[in-house]
Formats: sequence, structure tokens, C-alpha cells
Amino acid sequence: MNALLQVSGLRVAVGGKEILTGLDLTVRAGEVHAIMGPNGSGKSTLAHVLSGRDGYVVTGGSVSYLGRDLLAMAPEERARAGLFLGFQYPIEIPGVSNVYLLRSALNARRSARGESEIDAASFLRLVKDKARLMQMDETFLQRGVNEGFSGGEKKRNEIFQMAVLEPILAILDETDSGLDIDALKVVSNGVNSLRDPARAFVLVTHYQRLLDYIRPDFVHVLAGGRIIRTGDRTLALELEAGGYEQIVAAASP
Amino acid sequence: MSQPIAQQIAGGLEWLDERRASALARFGKSGLPDTKNEDWRYTSLAGYTQRWTDYRTASGQPSVSAGGDSPTRGADSWVAADMFTVDAVDGAFCAPLVGTPPGLTIRSLQHLTPEWRGRVEGLLGPPEGPADGSSPSSLVDLNTALLGDVLLIATDPGSCVAMPVHVRLQCTAAPALRQPRLLVDMAPGSQLTLSLEHTGAAGALVNAVTQIRLGRDSQLNLIRVQALPDDGMLTETTHIEVGEAASVTVTSVDLGSQLSRQSLTVLLAGTGASAIVHGLFLADGHRHIDNCTRLEHRAPLTTSRETFRGIADDHGHGIFNGKIIVQPGAAGSTAALTNRNLLLTTTAEIDTKPELEIYVDDVRCSHGATTGQLDANALFYLRSRGLDPAAARQVLTAAFLRESLSGVAVPELRARLETLLQARLQAGPPATMGTGT
Repeated sequence: MNALLQVSGLRVAVGGKEILTGLDLTVRAGEVHAIMGPNGSGKSTLAHVLSGRDGYVVTGGSVSYLGRDLLAMAPEERARAGLFLGFQYPIEIPGVSNVYLLRSALNARRSARGESEIDAASFLRLVKDKARLMQMDETFLQRGVNEGFSGGEKKRNEIFQMAVLEPILAILDETDSGLDIDALKVVSNGVNSLRDPARAFVLVTHYQRLLDYIRPDFVHVLAGGRIIRTGDRTLALELEAGGYEQIVAAASP
Repeated sequence: MSQPIAQQIAGGLEWLDERRASALARFGKSGLPDTKNEDWRYTSLAGYTQRWTDYRTASGQPSVSAGGDSPTRGADSWVAADMFTVDAVDGAFCAPLVGTPPGLTIRSLQHLTPEWRGRVEGLLGPPEGPADGSSPSSLVDLNTALLGDVLLIATDPGSCVAMPVHVRLQCTAAPALRQPRLLVDMAPGSQLTLSLEHTGAAGALVNAVTQIRLGRDSQLNLIRVQALPDDGMLTETTHIEVGEAASVTVTSVDLGSQLSRQSLTVLLAGTGASAIVHGLFLADGHRHIDNCTRLEHRAPLTTSRETFRGIADDHGHGIFNGKIIVQPGAAGSTAALTNRNLLLTTTAEIDTKPELEIYVDDVRCSHGATTGQLDANALFYLRSRGLDPAAARQVLTAAFLRESLSGVAVPELRARLETLLQARLQAGPPATMGTGT
């Protein structure tokens, strides 16, 4: 099966300092990948570069998404091509309602696929369904994007957006951080309900806890800007028991 | 300048003659404000006087009725079913005498019976100028000297006027300088929502004056919208006196004109009086938009809260000069003033000057101003959801301004303002917006 995402020897510098030092990653449709690693290992840098955020200089390697050069695509082109980034720190945008953002985002995606804009009734039905899935009160829809939301509500809103946009590849950056156990269950449930043979997930996380609820097909350990070990979910359990140091030390030349 | 003006004043309103003559005499001495005046530092009226070559004023008879052949943006002909609309063309009011909402009286000079004349004279102020010895505004004098009509809107005591009143001030093309004059008298315990919209033909020149008095316990929600064509020029003086336990909410929106200068004064004159002022302006293209506000606390336990938001883009120039004065008699008062601006290009300019003058100890006052760019994180967030950079900028710009509409309680009016704002932002010059990709 062809890869949705193919990262080859990716090297990325921030402010002159190399953060990713030759990262390889292959994600195929239907798969869930977890990328774990200690603080400063480059996890968030990977998520940001894949989403097209400014301030990162690619110094080597390539990223192919659906056969296209992802790094040459603007952030909005990536989104329209079905890439979704769940933010570690979702942004508050007062004055722009959630429902307005969702409709604009959905129509941008549809337009890129040559489809017409969604009609009001179908859109409303869709967002109400997904809000129910995420156990979000419908009043949230009319509020400003993340405005005055708690940390947990913001993360829930990210997954809600993802559920409405139905991406091909979702990269969730530390979606579990700052969540209490109930919110973690709701968020995980949202992700699990979207698992699909045509869709893939990359979960960037510091803790194993999330993986109790979302079972990954692959677990990668990122350290020093590259993936030093890949395994199945038992690797996450091993990390939980032994910590990162042990694995990082074992992988060192 | 005074001689030609005197010759061209419309006749037929003898009881106003003394007032007009003294205003004219004062104006003859003072002339138009110039940039040596600190309050006018950034705004020169030189361009205004160049175009203003005909001193004639409207005769009191509208030449055309408002409606179908509206000369400017399509939005101008807006009439809401749930609002009572009053039209004024070139300062002459077509005040209808039928269908006026209960609790409300609307009179133009044409329909002014003697019983209402006293009310008009009281609101216009003493013919010799302000009684408190403060320097009269030469623009008010100019308006008085040339006025051809006056619109009086008065509420009955205790009346809660359910239907909002919408006054459309339309002006035809230069060279005449139009002098609309609006008087609002809020009787004790009454409530009213009043919307005031400036529109006009290309080249419109307007010097508007609005005087408002709020009696005890009355409430006024005033929405003022300036949507003149791109080459229009407006000077506007608004004076609001708020009585005991009365409250006024002002929403001021500047979207059009080449030059717009608003001088807004709110006097909190009675114990417990309060004022909320929200403002927004969009100084794009080559627009010059100057808002100069004075909120003066004269009585104990008065409250004011002012938030002004502005955007300057392209070669636009926005000015906000907001002063809060707390007089010795205003113990126990609270005042807060904030001004937030967005500067979207390096060729645009914003000048902001929030000021506090406090002459009494027992008060709580705060003020602050910021000028910045659109939030890069918010822009990226929207782009990561598929919005292109121009759309993302527009959404954030609209959102920034929209916050200033929170005082507009009438949903229909609010929606109308949102639409107007959206249309203006979409019509903005895209060439200067950049793609950012």
C-alpha cells in the first residue's frame, strides 16, 4: 500500500540550531502512529513543520504527502488536501464564532475537491452530530473560537473540528496534555470514532496514558531529533516502566 | 468669509435670526479650527475649505425624497421594517407626522408649533454661546449660522419607545457644505434606541451637530454610523448631557469618507449618571479618520466606560484622542478608557492619545492604548484550517472590529452593521494585502 506520508531524512533547524537531525517516518492509510520522546526531543517541531508553521528551516530531507511535496505547500493547501493539525495550545480568536470557522474550513476543503459549498441544513446537522459525539454543549458553537474555554475544552474543540473536517491525516500535538481523565476519555473516543481504513493519525505525546485509550499500531521514540526506536504499543509500556533515559542510552552508539 | 455667508442664509425663520447672527459673528472671529489647536493637531480642514465654494444652505424643503435613486452605496437605502425611519436630505428633514411610535415626538422646523419652539431653543443653547464660559466650537457656530432645518426628537416622560428610530442623513454633492442639526430630548424615565447614519453622494461635505439631553432616569442607546462615499468629508460635533441616574450607550462606527472628524462630548451632569462609549473605525485607502472624545464627570457617583478600536491600512490615518475629566464635584466616580488599534501596513498611521484629568481623590480611573499587528498565531491557526491568508486576515480584522458592536442591542441593527462591516472589508483593496505564502 502506498504511504500517505513519507518523511525521509528530515533535518530542520530553528534559529540556527538543528532540532530534527535526519528523521524517517512512513505512515500508511488506516494506521495510528504514536511519537513519544522526552522534552526537547523535537516532537513539536515535527508537528509544526508538517503543518507548515513559520520559523522552521528545512536543511535536508523530504516530506511527501499523497505523492506531493508537502514542504512546498502553504499551510492552507495542506489543510485543503486533508491534513489536520490538532494544536498543543489552541488559539483563542474572540469575535470569530466556532461555527463560522468550521463552515469556512469545511467549504475551503470542499472547494479544493471541486465540490460545492455545503448547504446550511446539512452543515447544521453535521456540526450538531459531531458536537454530541464530543459531548459539547451546542452553545459552544456560537461562541468565539476557544474564547474563554478551559484547557480541556480547547482540546475537545480541536477534536471536534477534526471530526467535522474528516481529514485524511491528522497530526495531534500533545492533545492529551492538560486533560483530566474524563476529558481524556471524550477526546480519545472522538479519535477512535474517526478511525478508518482510509485515514491515519500521528499522535505526538509525552505520556503513555493517552495510548491506554487510543491503541496505536506503531510507537516511535524520538530523541536527539530522530527516531531511535520503533515498536508496537508494548514499547510505550516499556517507556512507562523504564522512562526515556534507559531507551535513549541503549540506542546511543 | 462672513459676508457671503450672511447674504446667502435662507430666510423665513426669523426667531432664529438673532441666534444665527451671533453664531455667525463668533465664527467670523474664530474661523475654522486649525492644526495649532492641540485637539486638531492631526486634522487639517484645508481640503474641506477648498471644495466648499458654495455657502448656501438647504432651504428647509427637500429637493428629492430618499429612496430609489440613492446616489451611493446600495446599503444606503436600507430601511428596516422594525424601525421608524426619518430622512434628511442636505440637512432638511422630512419628518413624518404620521406613524410616529407612541411616546415619541418628532418635529422639523417646518412642523414646529410654538409649544415645541422653547424646547428647541433650550437644546440649541443660549444664543450667546455656552453659559459655562467654555469656548464654543466654531463648527457648532458655523452650523448654527447656516442652519436651514432642525430635527427634534423628544420622548414623553416615562415612555419606553419600543421601536428604534433610524435617522438617515443623506447629502448631495459638493460644493455646498451641509449643516444637519439634530436635537434629542430624553424626558425623565424614558427609553429610546436611536440610530444615526451619514451617507451621501460623491463629494459630500457635511458639518453635522447633534445635541442630546437625558433627563433623570432616562436611557438612550445611540448608534452613529458614518458611511459617506470615499471622497466625502465630515465634521461632526456631538454633545450629550446625562442627567441624574440616566445612562447613555454610544456606538460610533466610521467606515467611509476621505476625511472624518468627530468631536464627541459626554457630560455626566447628574448624580449616578453613566455613559458607555464604543467606537470603531476603519482607516484604509487614503482615509483620514479622527475621533476626539471628552467624557466629563461633573457629578458624584458617575460612571464612564469607553472602548475604541481602530484599524489603519494602506495609506490610511486613524486618530484617537480620548480624554476623561473628573471634576472636583465628582467624588466616587469610576472611569475606564481603552483604545486598541491594528496597524496593517507600514504606510498607514495611527495616533492615539488617551488622557486622564482628575481633580478629586475618591475615584477609580484607568486608561490605556495599544497599537499592534494581527496576531501571527491566530493567522496561522486559521490557515491551518484551510483559510487562505487574505481570508484569514479579513476574518481577524472583522472580528477585531466586531467586538465594538457589543453595545448594539437591537439584533436587526447589529446584523445590519455586521453586514456593512463585512462588505467594507471585502471591498478593501486586495493588492496591498499580500499573500504571505
